[in-house]
Amino acid sequence: MAEAKKFPYAEEVVLPPEMAGWEEMYPPQRLFSKDREDWEKRHFWYQDKIHDPEALYPLDDIFNEAWQIALSQYTTRVFCIPPAQGVQQRMLGCYMYISAVEPPPPDVIGEKAALFGKRLPHVLQNYDMLWEKWIEKFMALGKEMQNLKVPEELPKYVPDEDIFPVTKGYTPANEMMAAFNTLVNQLFLGWQYHFEYLNLAYLAYLMFVDTVKKLFPSMKDSTVMGMVTGIDAAMFRPEQELCRLSRLAAGQRPVGDILKKDISADEKIKELKTTEAGRIWLDELERVKDPWFFVSCASGWFHHEGSWITKMDVPFSYMRGYVERLDKGETIERSLTTITEERERVVEEYKKLIQSDDDRKTFEDAYNNVRTIYQFTENHIFWVENWFHTIWFEKVRAFGRLLSMYDVLKKTDDIFLFNRFEVPMLLEDLATSWALGEGAPTRSKYWKGKAEKREKILDAASKWVPVPGLGEPPEEVVEPFTVMLWGITSDKVEEWLKGADLSGNEIKGFASSSGVVEGPARVIKLSKDIVNLKPGEILVCPSTNPSWAPVFTTIKAAVTDIGGLTCHASIVSREYGLPSVTGTGVATAMIKTGDIIKVDGTMGVVTILKRAET
Amino acid sequence: MSEKWIYWLKELGTNDNNIVGKKCANLGELTQAGFNVPPGYALSVEAYKRFMTETEVTDRLLEYLKGFNADPDKVADTLKFDEASIEMRRLAESVAMPPDMEETIKQYYQELCNITGCVNLYVATRSAGPVSHPGQYETYLNVCGTDDVVRNVRRVWSSTCNARSIIARARLGLPLHYDPIGVAVLTMVDSKAAGVMFTVNPVNGDPSKVAIEGSFGFGEAVVSGNVTPDRYLIDKVTLEIEERVVSDKHMEFALNPKTKEMEYIDLPPEKRKIPCLEDREVIELTKIAKQTEAYFGSPQDLEYAISMSRPFPESIFLVQARPESVWGKKKKESVLGKKTGLELMLEKALTPTKVKI
Repeated sequence: MAEAKKFPYAEEVVLPPEMAGWEEMYPPQRLFSKDREDWEKRHFWYQDKIHDPEALYPLDDIFNEAWQIALSQYTTRVFCIPPAQGVQQRMLGCYMYISAVEPPPPDVIGEKAALFGKRLPHVLQNYDMLWEKWIEKFMALGKEMQNLKVPEELPKYVPDEDIFPVTKGYTPANEMMAAFNTLVNQLFLGWQYHFEYLNLAYLAYLMFVDTVKKLFPSMKDSTVMGMVTGIDAAMFRPEQELCRLSRLAAGQRPVGDILKKDISADEKIKELKTTEAGRIWLDELERVKDPWFFVSCASGWFHHEGSWITKMDVPFSYMRGYVERLDKGETIERSLTTITEERERVVEEYKKLIQSDDDRKTFEDAYNNVRTIYQFTENHIFWVENWFHTIWFEKVRAFGRLLSMYDVLKKTDDIFLFNRFEVPMLLEDLATSWALGEGAPTRSKYWKGKAEKREKILDAASKWVPVPGLGEPPEEVVEPFTVMLWGITSDKVEEWLKGADLSGNEIKGFASSSGVVEGPARVIKLSKDIVNLKPGEILVCPSTNPSWAPVFTTIKAAVTDIGGLTCHASIVSREYGLPSVTGTGVATAMIKTGDIIKVDGTMGVVTILKRAET
Repeated sequence: MSEKWIYWLKELGTNDNNIVGKKCANLGELTQAGFNVPPGYALSVEAYKRFMTETEVTDRLLEYLKGFNADPDKVADTLKFDEASIEMRRLAESVAMPPDMEETIKQYYQELCNITGCVNLYVATRSAGPVSHPGQYETYLNVCGTDDVVRNVRRVWSSTCNARSIIARARLGLPLHYDPIGVAVLTMVDSKAAGVMFTVNPVNGDPSKVAIEGSFGFGEAVVSGNVTPDRYLIDKVTLEIEERVVSDKHMEFALNPKTKEMEYIDLPPEKRKIPCLEDREVIELTKIAKQTEAYFGSPQDLEYAISMSRPFPESIFLVQARPESVWGKKKKESVLGKKTGLELMLEKALTPTKVKI
């Protein structure tokens, strides 16, 4: 390998001085270290821009801690995919880097193969039953988390009922400390469920790609993906509910008129309460809010994004748009059957093109297999990243409120500046001071100082551009996820090594949803700016979020910096029949709002045709 | 009355190969199947025979050849073949057609003018052998007017005596003076762009793709390889244009309005790198390619031309269809084998996913 084909090692990366002390924010097992140097240098690491494009708040890192174990153990210890091992993580300068662990020794591959051969058929043959069990236990877990009791305050004295007739024996302070530990355990468990059938689903997909490409060597990846992906029933539901509520509102003049007003969601709700029709409508909203409004306003990975239930302005702005379109006589609902029918037509036609009967049979069976299990990759997203995370963030805030109420921290959300091992220290400090009695101080000053410093570090980190890779890229990757999810290919690494060229007017990415269109670009770097998007524009953003589904009915195409063929933008674009190019790396840097661009989702190319007047 | 020797294309089908030659039989079949083929008529092999015998050209050629002695494998004798060819063609072309033949050919031409609504219709006179002789016999383009049609039909006949044909026959030990062929008289498409298409990806045999090549002007530019054509690869199922290479097409084969001859004309720089086909034309061609393949039941190698005067989609003409020769001949063998999805998954899991990076 040529000298130039190497990224710096972790220790060689120079961070801005304002970031000094960043290491303290994350637990030591998540850092690069001298003692694991050999192992770490043997692996190639790249920044996980898909899940963690931003500098990570210490408590938001918990999802990563959980999935590192989850993803890896299903491959290595549970379903035992023979030649693959886990995906490991390290934090560097507040950004997360990941790396596929090198393959196991041959005897381990043999052992795993035997287990895999026994366990895989069981899953494939019983998937429907397994999915039913899965959703049952996952919903139970979410409910359990919702019902987890976090004291609203630490009372001056415990109430009488804690003494009579039998002494309870513990206090809200004990409950507070225990509840956080329970919450962390629940979160970890939820993330283990998240990966339950995901590895097998991706494996099935890769198998299907191989099968199809043997029959049709020039088949495009996006076409294969289009045959496999279905309708994500759960993730569509929030949008369907918005459409339904909008129709209800449009049919009831006063309700529809209030929804169209230029006032905040809170004011609209207040006004709706004053009329009978408004109250009925609000009841209907209340009825579907849990779970269908537990939708993250962005990816679901960061506490500051918020969810529909905490930022009602977001669903209300979508409903306003829908009511306006209904007034114009437009249809707002998407025909899910058309999407399904088109997919079935495509599969049937390819089947007809297969020349031998044996091949056709094999193709059919491979297809049925992948269709069965691939649903898992779609159906879990609403429940985990949206519903479950929304519950988690709200519960964490309950602790944050306690800490700020008793002046351990300044604000509720400052709790996210401490990692999950530190939060129990803060809670213990609070519990202790409460127990010690009037006047006993906490280390409030120390914690607040830490919080303040960390905020500055994160601010500096968000301005710093992390290196895309660390160490020496290997000749090949053997871990299916790194390819599927992160879209790591030779071209990508090559591009990283070269550094992005921002001067041209052509941008390449994944051809993730086919078709060609031209139109004005709308660059959206912050998810809150999504409200600026106008019909007929082309959305250009770092990555899209599941809660943005309603905007896909008005945009012409989608372009993202990050994401492969399975990212949200790709899936939704295919569902809506819009062209999309994902994983360009540089689209938001090169394209400016108002530029006229051409998106060729079939070839994976975006061309800037005309620059916006400046 | 002698055997029928002239046919409208629509009267012909694949079974008429031996009567009118492959090309005409095929175009007839396409016409009958409803494809947009340039209207035209065919002179059968019988017509060639009648001309050669009734005008005594055959006898005169045999007489001439009595004194001819040359070895086709000797380079030095090439000149002798050249000389003989010139004399033989002169002999054939200097003789008038039997009057009834000439009259009929002219009537058919007139009728063709009526059908197409064109007074001075340009036609092509093309050779059509029952066995293919690719590029061996001659084709004359932009033939216009009754006399010109008659003259050029005769030239096609006489082209069986061109040097490369008589050398080829000499090598095979066949008679030098005689090789019955059919002649196609076809309406010329005033083509703004033309080219070839395959109903498989010629690179890897992928049966789900249509590959189209095209260039400005007449198709000869692409077929001869004189111009690097634009290339498209289209998926038959999604009808997406998946690959698109626009080449630098430095010239086109077109009619020179001054000389009335077909010739290569340099293209201005601003036109060279413009795609020669519109996307809707590419998609329409793909549909036609799919229909042709379905009609014949095997992969096809097609030629098309796009008229500059007709509105889309009537502008698109199919001018040739023949079985694709590389992938079409392969046996339809299983590439996957009889396997279950589970077996495939186990296989996949055991072979590491290797991605070059």
